[in-house]
Amino acid sequence: MSATCDYQAKDYKSDLKPIWCPGCGDFSVVQGIYRALAAIGRPPHEIAFVSGIGCSSRIPGYTTAYGFNSVHGRSLPIAQGIKLANPDLLVLAAGGDGDGFSIGGGHIAHLIRRNMDITYIVMDNQIYGLTKGQLSPTSQKGRVTCTSRYGSMEEPVNPLLYVLAYGAGFVAQASPTDLVGMAATIEEAIRYPGFAFVNVQSPCVTYGEEAQQIKGLKAISESLQSLGHNPADRLAAMDLAQQYGQKMHLGVFYRNPEPPPTYGDLVKERQTLLSKDALPKERILDLFIKK
Amino acid sequence: MRKDLVFGMAGSGGDGIVSAGDSLLQAAAAEGYHGVMTKSFGSQIRGGESSCRVRISTTPILNPGGNLDVAVALNWDDFLKFGAELPVSGNTVVIYEAATKILEADIPLVGVTPLQVIAVPIAEMAKATAGTERAKNTVVLGLIAGWFGIGAVAVMKGIRKKLAKKGEELVDANQRAFDAGRAFAMEHPLKVSMNVAASATKGQVKLITDGNDMCAAAAIFAGCRFFGGYPITPSTEVMQFFTDHVWKYNGAVLQAEDEIAGIGAAVGASFAGTKSMTATSGPGLSLKSEMMGLASIAELPLVIVDVQRGGPSTGLPTKTEQSDLFAAAFSAHGDVIRPVLAPTSVADTFRITIEAFNIAEYYQTPVIVLSDQEIASRKETLDPIDTSQFKIINRVVPTGTDLVDYKRFKQTDNHISPISHPGMLGGTYLASGIEHVESGAPTNSGSVHQRMNDKRTKKFDPLKDRKDLFEVTGNPDAPIAILAWGSVAGVCREALEMAQAEGINVKLMVPYLLYPVAEGVYNEFFQSVQKGLIVEQTHLAQTFKLLRMHIDLPKGVQSLARSGANPFLPTDIVEALHRLLSELQRSHEGQLQPQE
Repeated sequence: MSATCDYQAKDYKSDLKPIWCPGCGDFSVVQGIYRALAAIGRPPHEIAFVSGIGCSSRIPGYTTAYGFNSVHGRSLPIAQGIKLANPDLLVLAAGGDGDGFSIGGGHIAHLIRRNMDITYIVMDNQIYGLTKGQLSPTSQKGRVTCTSRYGSMEEPVNPLLYVLAYGAGFVAQASPTDLVGMAATIEEAIRYPGFAFVNVQSPCVTYGEEAQQIKGLKAISESLQSLGHNPADRLAAMDLAQQYGQKMHLGVFYRNPEPPPTYGDLVKERQTLLSKDALPKERILDLFIKK
Repeated sequence: MRKDLVFGMAGSGGDGIVSAGDSLLQAAAAEGYHGVMTKSFGSQIRGGESSCRVRISTTPILNPGGNLDVAVALNWDDFLKFGAELPVSGNTVVIYEAATKILEADIPLVGVTPLQVIAVPIAEMAKATAGTERAKNTVVLGLIAGWFGIGAVAVMKGIRKKLAKKGEELVDANQRAFDAGRAFAMEHPLKVSMNVAASATKGQVKLITDGNDMCAAAAIFAGCRFFGGYPITPSTEVMQFFTDHVWKYNGAVLQAEDEIAGIGAAVGASFAGTKSMTATSGPGLSLKSEMMGLASIAELPLVIVDVQRGGPSTGLPTKTEQSDLFAAAFSAHGDVIRPVLAPTSVADTFRITIEAFNIAEYYQTPVIVLSDQEIASRKETLDPIDTSQFKIINRVVPTGTDLVDYKRFKQTDNHISPISHPGMLGGTYLASGIEHVESGAPTNSGSVHQRMNDKRTKKFDPLKDRKDLFEVTGNPDAPIAILAWGSVAGVCREALEMAQAEGINVKLMVPYLLYPVAEGVYNEFFQSVQKGLIVEQTHLAQTFKLLRMHIDLPKGVQSLARSGANPFLPTDIVEALHRLLSELQRSHEGQLQPQE
C-alpha cells in the first residue's frame, strides 16, 4: 500500500445523488464505507470499487473511487482481474443478495479458494428491489412476493455459513442499526489480508417485510463481542451463523488468526522467480526454434 | 523428383501416429523443407482413432494439401473414419498393416484404384526389432525415409533427442525399427519413384509451431499481460502458453471458474490499464457475449480469441468449421460494432493477433480473433519472423488538461476519448454497463443514448478503409473472383495458382478484417467481377449472407458453402471455377445472338 494521508469521510463521497428510496438501508452502508475508507486513508484514485446490478450495485458511483458498475452477478470476476492486473490497488466489490448469491453465486467459492485480497460487501435485503419485489435467494421460506403469491417453497441461502464453509478468512455481519459498528467492521474487513466478506442486513423500505425494517432488526440484533465469541474459532462461528434469519449477530464471526498468503502474493513470488528466464519480447518466437 | 508430398496416416490412439507426424515434420524442417501438419482425432480422451496429415514441400505451403500422395493405414476401421479428411486418389501410394489380413486387391477403398498398394508387416517388424509393437510408428518413419527420401538422418536424430532421458536401450531399439522400415522400402522399390527433391534452404533455421501457441506468443509480444480463460477444445493451448510464459513478463493468468469469469477477469484487468485477453471456442463464445457487450459500452480494450469448431452447441468439438461468423459479428444484444479479424495460417496468426491488440487499444473495444481448429492445431514450419517490423499501439491516456475535470467518455473529433485507469490521479470515473453521460454518470436520456451510440459506432469508420487488412491476388481486372477467409483461404490460394496455370482469368480476395464490413474495399474488388465464388465452411453460407447485408454483390457471385469437417480441396474450387467459366462464356454467347 502506498503512503496514507489524512482523509475524511466526505472525501470519498461523490456528487451523484443516489437513486435509492428515502430510508433505504444502503444510505447507511455507503456512509459506513466512506468512514471505513477515511480511517484507512488510501487516496480515492488508488481504490477500485466494483459492483454488479441491483439497487445496491449503484454504490460505486456514490464514491470518489474508480468505480465499475458492471453486469448482473459479475462484480467478483471483474474485481479479481483488477487486483491481478494491479495488486497495489485497494479493491472492493459490492452488490445485493440476488447479485451475489443467485446469478453470481458461482464465483464466491472460487475467490475464497484463491484468497484474493478483495473485500466483498453484500447488502442483503431478502428481496429483489430494483425489479420491484421478487423472491430472492435469501428470502424466507413461505415469503409472499409477486413471484411467490402462494408463498416461497425454497429454503433461503445462508450467506454466512456459505462463505465460512468455503474457508473465507474474514467473515462479518453489519447493519444500519449500528453505523459506528458497521464502519469499524468494514474497515477491519479491508485491513484483512485476503478475501473478506461482510454481510450487511440492509432493509428494503419499499418491498421489505415489517420484521426486516430497522425496528425489527434491532429486536433480533446481538453483538458477537457481547456474546463473548472468539473470532478465531471457526466452528463456533459456524454454529452462530446457523442462526441467520432468526438472530442478527453483528461483528466479526471469523478472522483467520494466521492469514495464508494471498493469490497476489503467490503471483508476485512466481513472477520474481521466473522473470529471470524471460527472453526479450522481440525474441519470443525463438521459443519455437527446433534445435 | 517431386517438389511436394502429402502424407496421411491413421491408426488407433496408442499407435503413436501423431507422434510419428511430429517426428516427420521436425525432420523435414531440419532438412530445410517447408511443412504443415494437421491432426484429427475422434473425441475420445484415450484410444479411439487418431490421424495426421503432413505436407512437405520445397516451396512455401499454402494449405495442408488435397488428395494424399501417401496413405498409411495401421488399421482400416480407423483410417476410414476420417473420410474426406484423408482422401485417396488414383495417384496415391497406399501403405497398410499386413496384419489386417486384407489382400492388396481387397482394401476397403470404394470407387478408387490407388497408384500402388503395399501391405507391410509393420507390427511384426516392430516386434522383431524393438521387441514391442509400440515401435510401429518408428517402422513407418523408416518406410517413409526409404521410399520418399525424407528424414533418413534427421528422424533418428530427433528420436534420439526425444528419448535420450529414457536410456540408450530404447534409442537403440527404435534405431533397429527405423532401419528395418528403411531396409524394407529399399528392398521393395515403388513402381514410380516419389523421392522429394532436396531443399534449397537446407541448414537454415526454421521455427515449428501451431496457431494457438503463435497466437499466445503474439499476444505477449503485443504487450498482453493478463489472460483469463477456461479450458475448452480446441483453444486451451492459448491459455497453456500463458501459464508457461506470462509470469516471466510480470504478467498473470487466471484459469477461471467458468467462461464468464474468464472474460470478466480480462475486462477487469483491462479496466485496470493492462492489455488483456481471453480465448475460447463456440460454446464459450456464447457464454461470454454479455461481457463482450459490457466491454463495448464501457469502451474497454480486450482481445477475445474464438477458435471455431463445429457447432451449434457441443457440435463437433475436434473438427474445424467457420460457423461462428454470425456469433462473432452479432452476439451480445444492442447496437454495437465489434471488430472481427481472422488469420489464415499459423504464420499470419502472429500479425493478426498483434493487429487485434492494436485495434482493441486504439478504438477501446473488444476485438475477436476468429481462428479455427485447423489453424489453431496445425503445425507449420516457418522462416524466422523479423518482429521489429510490427508497430505496437497503446491506448491513449489522459494527460495534463485532460485531467482537469476529466470526462472519461468525452466527445472528440475521432470519437475516441482518452482512457484513465485506477491509480491515475485525477482520472477517477465510473465505468458502467448502463448508458452514461460523458463523465460516466448513469443516464436514461434518449438523446444521450443516441449520441453515445453514434460515438461508439462511428469511431470504427476509419477501420473500414484499412485495405492492408485485405489481400487481393491474381489479375485485378479479372471477371471471375474467389473470396475466402480463415483456413479455407489457403485452399483457395492454391486453387488460384492452379486456375491461373490453366489460363483462367481469376482473382482472389482474402479478408483479414471480417467485421465491420468494409463496403468500399469490397465494392472496388467486385467492380470487374461477373462471376464469383464465396467459399466457406458454414452450412448456412454465413459469409455470403453477411456480405449481402452490406453490399450489392454482382448477380453472378455464388456461394460455395459446406458444413465443417468436410474440407475443401483446391481441386473442388478449380472445378467450380470451370463451371463459372462456362456460364460466363454461355452468357457472352447469349449476348452476341441477334434478337428475333
